[in-house]
Amino acid sequence: MTEREGLDPVTREIIKNYLESAADTMAVTVVRTARSLVVRDNMDFSTAIFNAEGDQVAQGLTLPFHMGAMQPALDAVREHFGDDVKPGDVFANNDPYEGASHLPDIFLFKPVFVNELLMGWTCVIAHHTDIGGRVAGGNACDNTEIYQEGLRLPPLKLYEEGELNQAVWRIVEKNVRVPDKVLGDIQAQLSALRQGEKDVLRLVDEHGLENLKSYMTDIIDYTERLTRAEIESLPDGSWEFTDYVDDDGFNPEPIAIKVRVTIEGDEIELDFTGTSPQAKGSINPNLAFTKSAAYAVLKCITNPNITANTGFVRPIKVVAEPGSYVNPQHPAPVAARGLGGFRVAHTVLGAMAKALPDRIPGAWGGGEIGVTFGGYHPGGKAFVFLEFNNDGPRGGGPFADGADGATAPVTNQANTPIESIEADQPLRINRYGYVADSAGAGEFRGGLGVVREYELTADEAIIQIRSDRGKFLPWGAQGGGPGTPTRGIMNPDTDNEEAPSKFMADLNAGDVYRSIQAGGGGYGDPLERDPEAVLRDVRLEKVTADHARDAYGVVLAGDPPAVDTAATNELRERMRGERGPLDTEPQVIPATQG
Amino acid sequence: MTSFRAGVDIGGTFTDVVFAGSDGRVLVKKVASTPDDYGRAVLEGLALGIEELGIGPGDVSEVGHGFTVATNAILEGKGEPTALITTEGFRDVLELARIRTPHLYDLYYQKPPPLVERDLRFEVSERTTFSGEVLKPLDPDSVAAVVDRVAASGVRSVAIALLHSYANADHEARIAEAVRARLPDVSLSVSSILLPEMREYERTSTTVINAYVRPVVARYLGDLDVGMRASGIEVPLMVMQSNGGLAPVESAIDKPMYCIESGPAAGVVGAYHLGKRLGIDNVITFDMGGTTAKASMIEDGEMLLAPEYEVGGGMSVGHRLLKGSGYILRVPSIDLAEVSAGGGSIAWVDKGGALRCGPQSAGAVPGPVCYDRGGAEPTVTDANVALGYLNPEHLLGGTFPIMADKARRALRDRVGRPLELSDVDAASGVHLLANSNMARALRAVSSERGRDPRRFTLVAFGGGGPLHAAGLAEELGIGRIVVPPSPGVFSAFGLLFADLEHHFVQTHFRPFADLDFDEVNGILERLRGEGRDLLRAEGFEDERQQIMTQVDMKYVGQTSELTVAMPQPSFGPEALEELGKAYGVEHERTYGYRADDPLQLVSVRVVARGLSEESRVPERMRMVGMPERGAAADRDVYFTHRGEWIETPVIGRDQVGGGARGPLVVEEYDSTTVVPPGWSASLDFMNNIVLDRAD
Repeated sequence: MTEREGLDPVTREIIKNYLESAADTMAVTVVRTARSLVVRDNMDFSTAIFNAEGDQVAQGLTLPFHMGAMQPALDAVREHFGDDVKPGDVFANNDPYEGASHLPDIFLFKPVFVNELLMGWTCVIAHHTDIGGRVAGGNACDNTEIYQEGLRLPPLKLYEEGELNQAVWRIVEKNVRVPDKVLGDIQAQLSALRQGEKDVLRLVDEHGLENLKSYMTDIIDYTERLTRAEIESLPDGSWEFTDYVDDDGFNPEPIAIKVRVTIEGDEIELDFTGTSPQAKGSINPNLAFTKSAAYAVLKCITNPNITANTGFVRPIKVVAEPGSYVNPQHPAPVAARGLGGFRVAHTVLGAMAKALPDRIPGAWGGGEIGVTFGGYHPGGKAFVFLEFNNDGPRGGGPFADGADGATAPVTNQANTPIESIEADQPLRINRYGYVADSAGAGEFRGGLGVVREYELTADEAIIQIRSDRGKFLPWGAQGGGPGTPTRGIMNPDTDNEEAPSKFMADLNAGDVYRSIQAGGGGYGDPLERDPEAVLRDVRLEKVTADHARDAYGVVLAGDPPAVDTAATNELRERMRGERGPLDTEPQVIPATQG
Repeated sequence: MTSFRAGVDIGGTFTDVVFAGSDGRVLVKKVASTPDDYGRAVLEGLALGIEELGIGPGDVSEVGHGFTVATNAILEGKGEPTALITTEGFRDVLELARIRTPHLYDLYYQKPPPLVERDLRFEVSERTTFSGEVLKPLDPDSVAAVVDRVAASGVRSVAIALLHSYANADHEARIAEAVRARLPDVSLSVSSILLPEMREYERTSTTVINAYVRPVVARYLGDLDVGMRASGIEVPLMVMQSNGGLAPVESAIDKPMYCIESGPAAGVVGAYHLGKRLGIDNVITFDMGGTTAKASMIEDGEMLLAPEYEVGGGMSVGHRLLKGSGYILRVPSIDLAEVSAGGGSIAWVDKGGALRCGPQSAGAVPGPVCYDRGGAEPTVTDANVALGYLNPEHLLGGTFPIMADKARRALRDRVGRPLELSDVDAASGVHLLANSNMARALRAVSSERGRDPRRFTLVAFGGGGPLHAAGLAEELGIGRIVVPPSPGVFSAFGLLFADLEHHFVQTHFRPFADLDFDEVNGILERLRGEGRDLLRAEGFEDERQQIMTQVDMKYVGQTSELTVAMPQPSFGPEALEELGKAYGVEHERTYGYRADDPLQLVSVRVVARGLSEESRVPERMRMVGMPERGAAADRDVYFTHRGEWIETPVIGRDQVGGGARGPLVVEEYDSTTVVPPGWSASLDFMNNIVLDRAD
């Protein structure tokens, strides 16, 4: 591929800056306008700008997991409507089987025109708090067909030449439990679309239509060149890895995700052949989402600063058998597909840990805990509380410990202020903090998992939990140990009942759900960890003295405790002898053996 | 009798001191900063200025000060070791923060270390709800046990932040009492006093920052105050706050959280007062230095304040979306967007064959290639020399030699050859890219919040601001630029112009429908009373007090609130109706739509401002003691938009006069203003250079 004629790299960089900044401006508009916690604080939305041919040119700094997700949804819109695209139109699509993701993610697209001539598109996806269906929040794992999952909007016109389609608006309003939040967030999306359009048109004024169109396409080519150069610098070869989802909520059998990553020259192939068949429950990642998850990990590994556009995905080939877990077929349910997507990311990361042992940390916790409470206030107004703030912590290594309680590198979530939750929702948070000893051991340990405890203060509500990593531990790398598993406990002070990873239940006032994140995987030999670093963790109550001895071979003595160097050396020597040679390949260990 | 006000602004390399006399004389002194004891350079600069003006220390009527001691203590982890006392079950709130990470796709993210480590975060048994109801009474035994542990730890500063203390301060007050009784010399920071506002992490973090820097700031400002008095300057020391108002030194020592970002605020304050004097209500400020460029906005005559910011948050154009690199401080602060683009930003070619500029900077050492101090990588300054914008022989009034050939060669080797660009295209590419990066900061404060930059005047300062201003103005469609006198030290001028200001807040989370007017009016009166008392104590009679009331509100269930001005003296049915309308207007302006939904009161705010008897901006600034500008010949300058070299007159500010057409280069001691073809320049009554685009 060569540079296009007559275009200069400086103007291209300036236009690229401008478009990235315009996509960010759209994102800021969404954050400032949104009604729901899930959009504003969990940042579960994305913005992008496309060229006239429907290829993505720039994406806002929002949710990495939406990397490349908008392309297939726009393709479906363009295919369905053909030439019937007019100034003032706004298109909607949330159908997983027409290029969208899962039903709560409503994609909106606005074509940008200059004198009746289509020159590009702006797009905003937002995850809505509710989309109707049988379970509040739209994330139930135990749906068995897409029809249970809520309102399905195939590619359609929400606005037709500037006129709102009242029928669609009213249908949405009457099909969701919290219309003020959902319609408010759609308004936020519309504001962002208009903002993006305005900014793109300014660029037309400055550079001229034809010139700008050429550059928008050239930015995509440039990104492709940059991506190929980055892939070229990775070692050639082929690596396999298998990771697991605990179960689908019906069948206790684990779901295996298998990938073979092949790097050859400036291209990468991800072959998921050998992956389990699609699940009965709604934790299937549809193909578009499988790809997004894989792209996001590859961006972490190549160059995080590459512009997120169609050029990035061109050198990447994804092979996923139809009907397999990573490419489910209609009418398979996909509501909680986020969970599956995270595990796809882990699987790709595990294979890359074999390819690049010095660069890939242990697995992040990956509990993928989604918590929903739904019910009615006195007086009949519905409430839906939904948060996904539990996707940490980081894995350890290769240069430092994993960040305690931090989110995965492929998300951009914030937690919700406890005081805001208690003021707005019939809930009380009783505890929020680190779990000692949850980190995978290693020369660089994983991050600590976090416990968060919810108490219902309304008379009754339905709780719905989506979580994972209860049966298979977050793996360590280069000999690092695994993190502890995800756990959920109902009424810890009374019944103290271990809850399954995916369930729904009726709760009464005073019922408590304690959610405990998995810990991050460690990196490197735990017996090589600096004993002073272990002592520091003990002093901070992040590691207990027992765990220091058992996992790190560090013996502490005295008050305040100090490292007993002689005893530590002796114990470590003995542990090395008993352990035998260290296995440095990452591998998934069932929780029962952890 | 002529009296002089002094403004002192500490930077990393230089400490700038500006004197403004009641007779219009203005003197600028630059002395090297003294990082081991910043106060030394301040006293030195003041003494030098007094000597040069031939006045006595008694002729100095006021000293305004912007400082970085608090920020540095946080960035370098050198604040006072601090303990935190909080509610049982929540000691990790501080360290978990909002769990967001500052860079996407980053496998190696590390959290900033908490200002209070886990072994100094203590929990007491108690619990209050959001309405202030006590769910679990404060357990005195748990308090006693914690106070024992605080005593045993030996810390000299304690922060207290319990859940929902904004709604009921009683438990925090009792804990404070217990700490004080046992440890009377310990510095106390109590969240319900400092920031009675909802959101536990933000309140806790702010309280902890206050506790962490309080003893450090007290030592610094205390010593400086004593030093000034010892040198005969008996007037009160005033300190710049992040909100753009001045505070007396005592108040800064008591609540240093308001003065953390004291430095960058001053330049914006300067532009604000300049705008007032010139009758310009809508201003975008542009401050470009060696490593960063900052932008802010003044709209309808008001500075734009952000409700919070991250200390040590570093620079990121997407900083409104990406958080987690610093420490949240929830105090109103001048809203600055900052990008890593400055004169020292390095130009390079990436693997995809694109020209890039920054974020790496050559800094002051080795600096740009043309400084000939060992720098090998071409920078924005090198490009500006190669294009003829900067003097190719020397800077700083002839005192600093420039090696233009070395700059050209580096640009050719590192940019031109790899990209197959001509010398001039390589240099202009670097210059334009720097503009494009900096334009992101300008857009962040304008179009990102729905404001059209074309309605604004650009006020450009900092060493590089006036050089790049016209290019940026063209990119954003701005038609007028104002370059104030001594643009390189303009921030110090801001310290002279600022008013005294105090901010107060109280969360009162109620739907409008459930408001008890007596209760909320009681809160309002209390906050106003605090403001008036404080101003009175600072010597402001009632008629020189300006008390402004604002309301944070939202639609019920909405996650973010907006701040609107309180339309009536007190809450009542009429006030609510007007607030509803005002909120609709503000919502529409910010978000593009309004709803017909029920409203929720979140917090009430009071700003108390002390007004000076006379304008604080001098009528006409007569610079004294400026080094003579070395004679400069006309030179060839490349204008990127024209794509041609033009022989361009090089003049001094005083030669601009009533009107001159571009192309022009205006050289001054610490700055260079570029007037491209299509622009004209004139001097206004205050000696500002005003650039206008001919359309």
